[in-house]
Amino acid sequence: METNLVIEGFKFMVLGMGTVFTFLIIMIVCMNFMSNIIHKYFPEPQANADVPSSTQKDNKKIVAAITAAIAHHRRQG
Amino acid sequence: MKKIIMKFLALFMLVAFSSVAANASEHATEAPDKASTHKEETYVSQSMGHMIMGFLESTGIVALVNPNPNELSATGEKMSDFHKGAGRVIMILLTFFLFWLAIAKGFEPLLLLPIAFGGLLANIPVANIAGPHGFLGVIYNMGLSNEMFPIIIFMGVGAMTDFGPLLSNPKTALLGGAAQFGIFGTLVGAVALSQMGLVDFTLQQASAISIIGGADGPTSIFIATKLAPELLGAIAVASYSYMAMVPIIQPPIMKALTTEAERKIKMTTLRHVSRLEKLVFPVMVLTLAILVLPESTPLIGAFMFGNFLKESGVVERLNDTLQNALINITTIFLGLGVGSKLAADQFLVPETLFIMMLGIIAFSVGTATGVIMAKIMNMFPGNKVNPLIGSAGVSAVPMAARVSNKVGMEYDRTNMLLMHAMGPNVAGVIGSAVAAGVLISIFA
Repeated sequence: METNLVIEGFKFMVLGMGTVFTFLIIMIVCMNFMSNIIHKYFPEPQANADVPSSTQKDNKKIVAAITAAIAHHRRQG
Repeated sequence: MKKIIMKFLALFMLVAFSSVAANASEHATEAPDKASTHKEETYVSQSMGHMIMGFLESTGIVALVNPNPNELSATGEKMSDFHKGAGRVIMILLTFFLFWLAIAKGFEPLLLLPIAFGGLLANIPVANIAGPHGFLGVIYNMGLSNEMFPIIIFMGVGAMTDFGPLLSNPKTALLGGAAQFGIFGTLVGAVALSQMGLVDFTLQQASAISIIGGADGPTSIFIATKLAPELLGAIAVASYSYMAMVPIIQPPIMKALTTEAERKIKMTTLRHVSRLEKLVFPVMVLTLAILVLPESTPLIGAFMFGNFLKESGVVERLNDTLQNALINITTIFLGLGVGSKLAADQFLVPETLFIMMLGIIAFSVGTATGVIMAKIMNMFPGNKVNPLIGSAGVSAVPMAARVSNKVGMEYDRTNMLLMHAMGPNVAGVIGSAVAAGVLISIFA
């Protein structure tokens, strides 16, 4: 009984660390696999193309609004 | 003038008391007519002197100096006089010290304050607040003895976690695994201590203590309530106070194990992670957990539930509740419930000292093995890993990752390691949940 305890502890260690690493390695493999599939078959819509155009449109609108406001102000003055 | 007022007050008190006593005695004369069988309902008239003496005997001072021999602890066991008297005073002073740590030093105040205040309340004599019918006892039975609160906290933590850094550099998950050596190394240490005859830890207790090395509060509490509820107070306090001390404990170990050149390694920028990847990841990990280790699914399931709600992007209200309201409410109850285990008879035992000692060893071993694992990974071809992020493999999100970043910047101000360190950091949470699952499955 006396000597068993520490050996038990080491057994736990081997089992525990083995499981933790196995789990994480499987997880890493699955993560890489999943990322590859997603990039291949479900690529994200090209966000880069959309974003600037919308902001440009917004900018144009803002510029138009400002010009209109200035014109209005001048007419009043 | 003063004397007159004092005399008047004394007279007034006497009249008031005697009228109360008179009223009570009238009631007492009526009581026997109702043929009450209850002993406490029959009131015997007492002289003023007796009443004052009786009141004085019920004060806290007397209870502390001259403990009631029949008083039982919250768990219904006999307590030694030390635990009823001086022990309680020591514990109350200790909670004051914890207040100071939390407020002045900023040591995890969100949890340390409720725990410390719970401890203060649990050590009050006579009132028995931590007993089965006191409110701390009710809170403990409501959500701690059935492991409910740590699970809810895990949901909230899941909702706060971003797996992006891990997904963009998956191999850093190994660092989170290596740091779990802290858990099992401490387990061996704890059984070795009982082998040497210094303490008497069972394997269950040793496992519950070792999980402190996972540096994850809710997991520690979850395992402690499952395997060794009698040690919960000490384990929770050790766990949270060491997590708060991560910025003090880790850097010396990290610096000792790395060379200057290694500390300056720059890591490649993280790639962009698509939303779909983040959405699939929690379900994927949970599926793996179901297949490999169902015992870990209470923790991993709750964690991934929170994360899934967040990444789904369609239940912003639930996500917000998990991250804020729910986790805050649960933290209050969890803290008070853990505090109820700081009662003198459970905390002031020699085991506590060993738990504190083993806890810091667990943290240090975890930090060291994380760093060493990073160095081993650098021996293989591929992108180099800065060993400083290895220490973030002990969970302690996000404190450990911040420490990696800070130490890295001491040597190269342009080297931002924070996002790189978040990868092993969140992998550490998964790793300690898996380790917890293994320990549960052994004793199941």
